[in-house]
Amino acid sequence: MMKTFDIFVIPFVVGMVFVLMFCLAALGRVILQMPHSDRRRLLVSLVTPQTFLRNIRDIFCDCLLHVKIWKRNPVLGFMHSAIAFGWFMIIVIGHIEVFVLQPFNDYNLSFAQDLGSKLYLPIFFRFFSPEAVSPTAKTLAFLMDFFLALILCGILTAFLKKIKSTIVGVKRITKFGFADSVIRIALWTIFPFRLAAETTQLMVFWWLYSLDLCLFMFLLPFTRYMHIPSEMLLILLRNAGIKSKSPRQGFALAEMYSCPGCGLCIDACPMSVDDEKSGMTSVYFIRNLRKNDPEKMREMAEVCLMCGKCVSVCPVAIQSCDLKMNLRKNESENLISDLSYLNKVDISENICEKGEKVLFFAGCMTHLTPRIIKSMKKIFEKAGERYEIMDSEGGICCGRPMLLAGKTDAAQAVIAKNTEMIRKSGARKLVVSCPICYRVFKEEYQLEDIEIQHHSQYIDEIISKGKLKLSRTKSRIVYHDPCELGRPFGIYDEPRHVVESCGVLVEAAQNRNMSVCCGGSLGSITMSKDKRDAVTDSSLANLMANHPDEIATACPLCLKTFAKKTDIQVNDIAELVAENCS
Amino acid sequence: MLDDMNKVVIKGGGAAGLRAASRLKRNGIDTVVIERESTLGGHLAQWDRLFPDGQKAKDVLDRLLSDINGVEVMTNHTITEIQRENDIFKIKLDDNTVIQADAVLDTTGFDIFKAEKKQEYGYGIYDRVITNAELESFFKTGSDRRIDNPKKIGFVHCVGSRDIKVGNTYCSKVCCATALKQACEMREAFPESEVYTFYMDLRMFGKGYEDLYLKAQQDYGVKCVRGRVSEVAEAKDGRLVIKAEDTLLGKPLKMTLDLLVLMCGMERKDGFIATKNGFVEQNITDEKGIFVAGTAIQPMTLPETIANADAAVLDIVEFLKRRK
Amino acid sequence: MNFGFSISPSSHIMMDDVSRKRFDALKKTEPDIAICMSCGSCTATCTAGANAEVSLRRMILMLQRGKDDEALAMASRCLLCGKCYLVCPRGINTRHVLLSISKCLGHDEDI
Repeated sequence: MMKTFDIFVIPFVVGMVFVLMFCLAALGRVILQMPHSDRRRLLVSLVTPQTFLRNIRDIFCDCLLHVKIWKRNPVLGFMHSAIAFGWFMIIVIGHIEVFVLQPFNDYNLSFAQDLGSKLYLPIFFRFFSPEAVSPTAKTLAFLMDFFLALILCGILTAFLKKIKSTIVGVKRITKFGFADSVIRIALWTIFPFRLAAETTQLMVFWWLYSLDLCLFMFLLPFTRYMHIPSEMLLILLRNAGIKSKSPRQGFALAEMYSCPGCGLCIDACPMSVDDEKSGMTSVYFIRNLRKNDPEKMREMAEVCLMCGKCVSVCPVAIQSCDLKMNLRKNESENLISDLSYLNKVDISENICEKGEKVLFFAGCMTHLTPRIIKSMKKIFEKAGERYEIMDSEGGICCGRPMLLAGKTDAAQAVIAKNTEMIRKSGARKLVVSCPICYRVFKEEYQLEDIEIQHHSQYIDEIISKGKLKLSRTKSRIVYHDPCELGRPFGIYDEPRHVVESCGVLVEAAQNRNMSVCCGGSLGSITMSKDKRDAVTDSSLANLMANHPDEIATACPLCLKTFAKKTDIQVNDIAELVAENCS
Repeated sequence: MLDDMNKVVIKGGGAAGLRAASRLKRNGIDTVVIERESTLGGHLAQWDRLFPDGQKAKDVLDRLLSDINGVEVMTNHTITEIQRENDIFKIKLDDNTVIQADAVLDTTGFDIFKAEKKQEYGYGIYDRVITNAELESFFKTGSDRRIDNPKKIGFVHCVGSRDIKVGNTYCSKVCCATALKQACEMREAFPESEVYTFYMDLRMFGKGYEDLYLKAQQDYGVKCVRGRVSEVAEAKDGRLVIKAEDTLLGKPLKMTLDLLVLMCGMERKDGFIATKNGFVEQNITDEKGIFVAGTAIQPMTLPETIANADAAVLDIVEFLKRRK
Repeated sequence: MNFGFSISPSSHIMMDDVSRKRFDALKKTEPDIAICMSCGSCTATCTAGANAEVSLRRMILMLQRGKDDEALAMASRCLLCGKCYLVCPRGINTRHVLLSISKCLGHDEDI
């Protein structure tokens, strides 16, 4: 008579029960820590057919197939999907085998036995039913072997990656702690043990297989592999439109659990140019969030340049910048602010004309790059635009630097004052030359019927409307994508069009959403000049890859940062246009 | 070539004199160094370390001394009279020796300003007021009864410089960098101490000087206060109460110190020696055959003094050649 | 009681009464605070300074002269725009200095 139970299944069952309970508890914590409005949002999204379908698609593409990683590097993509998709299929087919073949159906099992067997039978099916007799059983057995082989190929790739990471296009890999190293060995050995057990049918391998699974599941909640269950929840929450509001709770907790520790952000992070600082990248930041180490969390949140490249490359799309901002907010929110003097600020001297016009906001940084202001004036005049410069005399900051420093309430006072002044001006369109300002105007200001344009968009628009006649030179110009303009808004093409109409556009080694921060970012609060200089040098090296004659950018801060570290000409796109327009 | 009959007498065996002697020797010119003290080296021999990088003064002096091997040196001698007979100088010494020479190089350098002249700083009145030179000898010897684990130390710049009241309207050039060098050394010697320097302008013009300024602030925590100390009084416990204005805040400032170091400048009893032209004849005096080099002309740093001595040697060689 | 006169507090900065602790704590947080050479570029370019009394140079001096409250009041007017960082010839991390002033002085009353 066939066995329905063997003592070796116990470690697996215990591990499985533990992990299920932990995940349930974690789910409860995430849901309970979210504000009520977010819980409602989640509920609504779950019953909306459109979001429902999107959830299914995203879970399939991101969690199982890892489409994003495939796009990055096919070998790395293969490694991830071989393991994830292979394992998923083994679980699915394992359950189909049990369901279709029903090996225990002839036995009268008690309810408890039946429930237990539901857990372990798909995992140890070959032990209880070693022979595949029917064609169906043979087909299923073949599929199981196929996916097992796929997983083993994936594990082999992972092993090779560990030895030489460049084969998957990765320079630096995450340094793991003890638990993470142990669970990785556990994961890598599960499937070889299974293969050995199924082929030899020796008890020792079945024991090893079960114990290994047990170890894996007990370590899972405390290691990066928590991302396996958590990522699915994260997709649901994200598709419901929920954003993190705290550094460690609710949605943030789901994000923390979902970090697979893959370390793609290490290569992406501009700070990694300085090896000592690569310990400051998002993967380590999130690890410290999980550890709840306040000192380290703060240090990492404050040094970050907020360039957003780690978010861009993150296969799980964890919004680590948001988490850091939440942390900064907690740190700085209650700092004393006295902005009562803003009431005295009056820009009516600058605004004299009534009626339709373009309002130009230079912003703080542009005041230190007066060539941009001069160029914009020329461009407005050549285009026959009625314009006024909002902050030619006086004027205040846009508020974004305060937001970046976590002083959110104080920033609102600045935003309110600027809003009032802009509304009063009667302008229909606001043009800004600084991406830092542009971002806050787009994201935080309530200027419903006023069109906000970055000057790259504005200039591109007037060129395409034929309002500006430009002569093209033969100069090879590389365009640097500013962090605050490219990644958040996808404004990549407009400035390139502008550059192309003035000279020959050359691309940097890494561009668009892979662009490297210039190092001057206001995002970092604590980074010292030396570290910033190292970032600037690496950003410049990236720009110089194709030997351009000059550099163009669309941000006064990038401009100033580059200009002091390079001998080749650095221009704002406005300067290029002003120089080349007739 | 110059013949063996050429002879130059160098008056003063300090840095400029020693350097000039070695260069003249290299040009095959017979040279005698007359030094009034018993040892050579002048002020350099009294110094412990040099700004901006803390090089040992002794190492520099040893090098200068080894370079004059073979040059005739007469220490403990002073020149009492110089007579010119045609183109020959007859130089009479205090022991009635007469040396004949074709040219004379004056490298008699400077005197350190006498701090007693600024009575308001209390030098010689209060025990805890010392001069830069005395502090330097403390660094050299490691002992000075007045320096007893001071907790708060002040340095006053421009003592006897830029001060029309003592007749010195010029800047002594070396005190700013010396003050910061000594301030750092005090922080090293007494890590618990707080060191303040009171300056009118920080004139950190030379190579590495600005770096010294940054290092003093960054690594040694030296605090620079813009404002000249104008008054020093003694508290009951013998400590010093100084008054200055923090001109950057526009407020008067009072402070109790355990030690006050006066950065005494350079001066010469009979004034600095005038040269024919400050640009192109820097080492030539109106008296034919009499040359001058180093801080006898104007305040100079040590590298400047040495370069200036080299330049004087060129002028002397040319002078002797042309005379043939 | 009215004596017909009153004693006004001395306008002197009494350095003997100034505690180093706060400044030293700040220096630990942001070492750049020690390297200001009082050129005044920050004050001249300050966006907030155009409308209110804000001067990083003075704040740093005030902290060294025990005028913590005045420094904190000035820091609270800062808009953190970062122009001062761009103009500082010593490359002082000015925004962090300013935030640290608010953090150290605004919270830790016991220092």
